[in-house]
Amino acid sequence: MQLMRRKKKVSANQDHHIEAFFKIVGEKEVLFEDVDMLSYNCDGFTIHQHSPKAVVFPKNTREVAALVKYCAQNDLPFLARGAGTGLSGGATPLNNEVIISLVKMKGLLSVDYENRKAVVQPGYVNLHLTNSISSKGYYYAPDPSSQYVCTIGGNVAENAGGAHCLKYGVTTNHILGLEVVMPNGDIISIGEDGVPDSPGYDLLGLLTGSEGTLGVVTEITVRILKNPEMKQTVLAYFDQVEDGSRAVSDIISAGIVPAALEMMDQTAIEGVEEGSFPVGHPRDIAALLLIEVDGIAAGIDEQIEEILAVCRNNHVKEVKVAEDDAERGRWWANRKTGFGAMGAISPDYLVQDGVIPRSRLPEVLEQINEISRKYELRIANIFHAGDGNLHPLILFDSRNPGETQKAVDAGSACLKACSDAGGSITGEHGVGIEKIEEMRFIFSDEEIEAQTRIREVFNPGNLLNQGKLFPMPGRCLEVKKAVQ
Amino acid sequence: MSMAKDYTMEKQPACSTKSLSNYFPEDHPDPAKWDDCVHCGMCLEACPTYLETGQEQHSPRGRVHLIHAVAEGEIKMDQSFSDAVFTCLDCRACVTACPADVEVGGLIEEARGQIRRAEPLTGWKKAFSSTILEKLFPHTNRLNKVGGLLRFYQTSGLQSLTRKSGAMNLMPDHLSGMEAIMPNVGHPVREKYKNMPVIPAKGDEVKGRVAFMTGCIMDVMFSDINDATIDVLTHNGSEVVIPKNQTCCGALHVHAGDRDSGRKLAKQNIEAFSDSDTVVINSAGCGCALQEYPELFKDEPEWKEKAEEFSEKIQDISKYLYDTGYEKPQTEMKTRITYHDACHLAHGQGVREEPRQILRDIPGVEVVDMPNADTCCGSAGVYNLTNPDMANAVLDRKMENIPENLEMISMGNPGCMLQMAMGVQKYGRSERIVHTIQLLDWAYKKQKEEQRQLQTSGKG
Ligand SMILES: Cc1cc2nc3c(=O)[nH]c(=O)nc-3n(C[C@H](O)[C@H](O)[C@H](O)COP(=O)(O)OP(=O)(O)OC[C@H]3O[C@@H](n4cnc5c(N)ncnc54)[C@H](O)[C@@H]3O)c2cc1C
Ligand code: SF4
Ligand code: SF4
Repeated sequence: MQLMRRKKKVSANQDHHIEAFFKIVGEKEVLFEDVDMLSYNCDGFTIHQHSPKAVVFPKNTREVAALVKYCAQNDLPFLARGAGTGLSGGATPLNNEVIISLVKMKGLLSVDYENRKAVVQPGYVNLHLTNSISSKGYYYAPDPSSQYVCTIGGNVAENAGGAHCLKYGVTTNHILGLEVVMPNGDIISIGEDGVPDSPGYDLLGLLTGSEGTLGVVTEITVRILKNPEMKQTVLAYFDQVEDGSRAVSDIISAGIVPAALEMMDQTAIEGVEEGSFPVGHPRDIAALLLIEVDGIAAGIDEQIEEILAVCRNNHVKEVKVAEDDAERGRWWANRKTGFGAMGAISPDYLVQDGVIPRSRLPEVLEQINEISRKYELRIANIFHAGDGNLHPLILFDSRNPGETQKAVDAGSACLKACSDAGGSITGEHGVGIEKIEEMRFIFSDEEIEAQTRIREVFNPGNLLNQGKLFPMPGRCLEVKKAVQ
Repeated sequence: MSMAKDYTMEKQPACSTKSLSNYFPEDHPDPAKWDDCVHCGMCLEACPTYLETGQEQHSPRGRVHLIHAVAEGEIKMDQSFSDAVFTCLDCRACVTACPADVEVGGLIEEARGQIRRAEPLTGWKKAFSSTILEKLFPHTNRLNKVGGLLRFYQTSGLQSLTRKSGAMNLMPDHLSGMEAIMPNVGHPVREKYKNMPVIPAKGDEVKGRVAFMTGCIMDVMFSDINDATIDVLTHNGSEVVIPKNQTCCGALHVHAGDRDSGRKLAKQNIEAFSDSDTVVINSAGCGCALQEYPELFKDEPEWKEKAEEFSEKIQDISKYLYDTGYEKPQTEMKTRITYHDACHLAHGQGVREEPRQILRDIPGVEVVDMPNADTCCGSAGVYNLTNPDMANAVLDRKMENIPENLEMISMGNPGCMLQMAMGVQKYGRSERIVHTIQLLDWAYKKQKEEQRQLQTSGKG
């Protein structure tokens, strides 16, 4: 085995496109060698792996526009990428795309405390925003568990949610304006500088959550909020999953709107306790709830009393209120690193992302149990119980022949259970390539066709992030089209 | 277009890994390590080289992915692979950040061993020639930098400053009276105590006996710190032995991928300290390497067992003092100081609170928090010599975080001390770079001096 020498230059068989990218962003900002391409062959969803053609790192909107224009004119498939923490394969280059990585556009451009808004570049990391404004008493509400690393651009594309979205809403509720490079290279601005309702179509709403299929976001104006005056966090352990589920429903029916209402089951608890941020949860309980209330100080104590009472009515085994910020911090670190911690108890996992009406929680959890038995795979549940957003984590070992397929089928069965219960197949992680077929659980062919037509308006050549979000139209539709 | 339901991409079962693998079978990188990685990316923002480049192959996740891919036969160990693996600072920040406890550091070192094997070296001489002879000596500017650094440390050290008067004397007034108690620079403790099998504890009560690992560079360049360490140990009731056969810990060899030399040195040290129950060390990098000896002996079960036993004995000086108790100095030191977490203490050994507590226990020492205290300074062994650009960029980030109006920056690792001295010089700052244990030692000595003066004045 000899160490191969690096090709000094783009070799003759490397196409001229790479040279063109050099001209747009500079040589140092273009990757194209095999090894480097392999490190971009997937995002947080690892089942599909395809290498890109090149990865380019623009430093400003102008460079993004030039790259996009070049790709459009030369018929090169391309896509945008943030931190690559997506869980549905949104940033995976299925078609040997040119990846436009936005991580070098990571500036905080301005903060306007008076009007409670901030302007960031798309590669700006979610948590950095809160960290930069917290000393002034402000924060950015959407807090996906990946907030330590994921980008706000990626959050916009996936319409990311988080533990505290029960009370404060998901990303779309916090976006005031966007600058977008359209798939033909045109630069447009949408959202009227913080004016909530502008006439015409709600393009902001359409772009947010479009999973990088309608344009490349290059600047984002977000809403920032004043820190709540007070915060209290409750941790409750239950011997029966049903008791925990009922407590969730009872808290909401009591008229309390917690900032967060999270649940973990026994397998999930095993994972987080084996991971790097254990807090000493008992292993023999069936479920735990993490409940946070915040707001003006008056009334918080009564809400906590009421929550404690609800838990006791539902046979809670042990319940406690966080003593201080440090304890609250430990509970949240344990929860927010939950997905990754599954690595400590399983070589691979597949995280699903179904939504159900809260009232059907116990029943759907039981169905997930059955799926776990049927496929002989362990399933851990960590989820935003308050808004019925389930995250079954299917634990598997891809080295065992056939097990990856089994995990995928089990995941799909979980989503079927959610949609049959009147819910949906994604709460916050997006469809990407992962759930593309499951779109048929909730949309008819006609409904899918209507949406792909919208995509065609923005992205007529379908060069941008092709093969994501919508399944290929059903056969009959294709025939219909052909006849027309 | 590839259809979503066509999962032909499944990885091969474990048993076939070896036959596909583009690694040599000996000392094969451990599949259990990459199996833990779920590709979540939670380590990205912790990684200095990712922050600098924004590139996935220079992130922990990317490196693990690539190291795995070579084992799957998807890529070869080519130059780009080598770049990704050798650009790593080995700072272990990713290990702290990773929720799944992936041993990224261990994997990187195993991969480096494989790369070095692929680019055959004939033993230590060749390794020396590539890292030091080829990369250092032919480059006068680098050499000057190293020489200059040494001089800078020496001129900036408390000892020489207090001995000079006038313009060069930058010492804060309240410390300059300590001149009399300053040890000599450049007198290795292994020389100094070579005829003393046991350095006795001071005072009546003997707490126990510890073996002292002096470190090789440490003992030549920072012998004053070694002196301080011995004095602090004996002051607090420990007898100290310095086993003669000890040698370099091998950290630099292992970081450079020369695992055979690493193993040889490891064996010698394991034997040199076989009679000791506790081995104390004041260099974080060496301490971490010693604790990781078992990693080197995957294919030698007998030595693996010995290495595991050995690694249990290793204690950083600050942790040893914190766990066994130390006298809180009674004298005022009056200084403003900040503490930098050496990567191999904080991320490598989980030692964060102990040194800070020692500083806080010295009366008059005001400890100012440094933001991101546990991010790498860019020293990383000889990294600042082999990858100067990246090392500089990382240093720049570190310096941005150092609070203003300080007199000293303290830490527990000689490599960091040199790198930070360079940072202080580069930015025209004036902080003294000190080892945590030195400050404690000075406090004890000042206290003793005050007591002595009190006694003589009482007599007079
Ligand atoms: C451990 C873990 C926990 C997670 N927890 C949550 C959670 O609690 N809630 C949640 O909602 N998600 C969660 N996620 C999923 C993921 O973090 C989010 O989807 C996040 O928004 C992705 O951001 P990113 O920067 O990593 O984007 P990427 O993964 O890089 O990209 C995601 C998609 O956005 C597109 N995109 C990225 N940047 C742009 C841009 N500038 N313009 C246009 N399109 C763009 C990409 O093409 C891709 O389709 C979690 C992921 C992990 C690994
Ligand atoms: S090393 Fe750890 S944090 Fe990084 S991607 Fe792998 S599992 Fe996640
Ligand atoms: S050891 Fe440091 S430089 Fe290397 S991958 Fe981990 S965080 Fe990055």
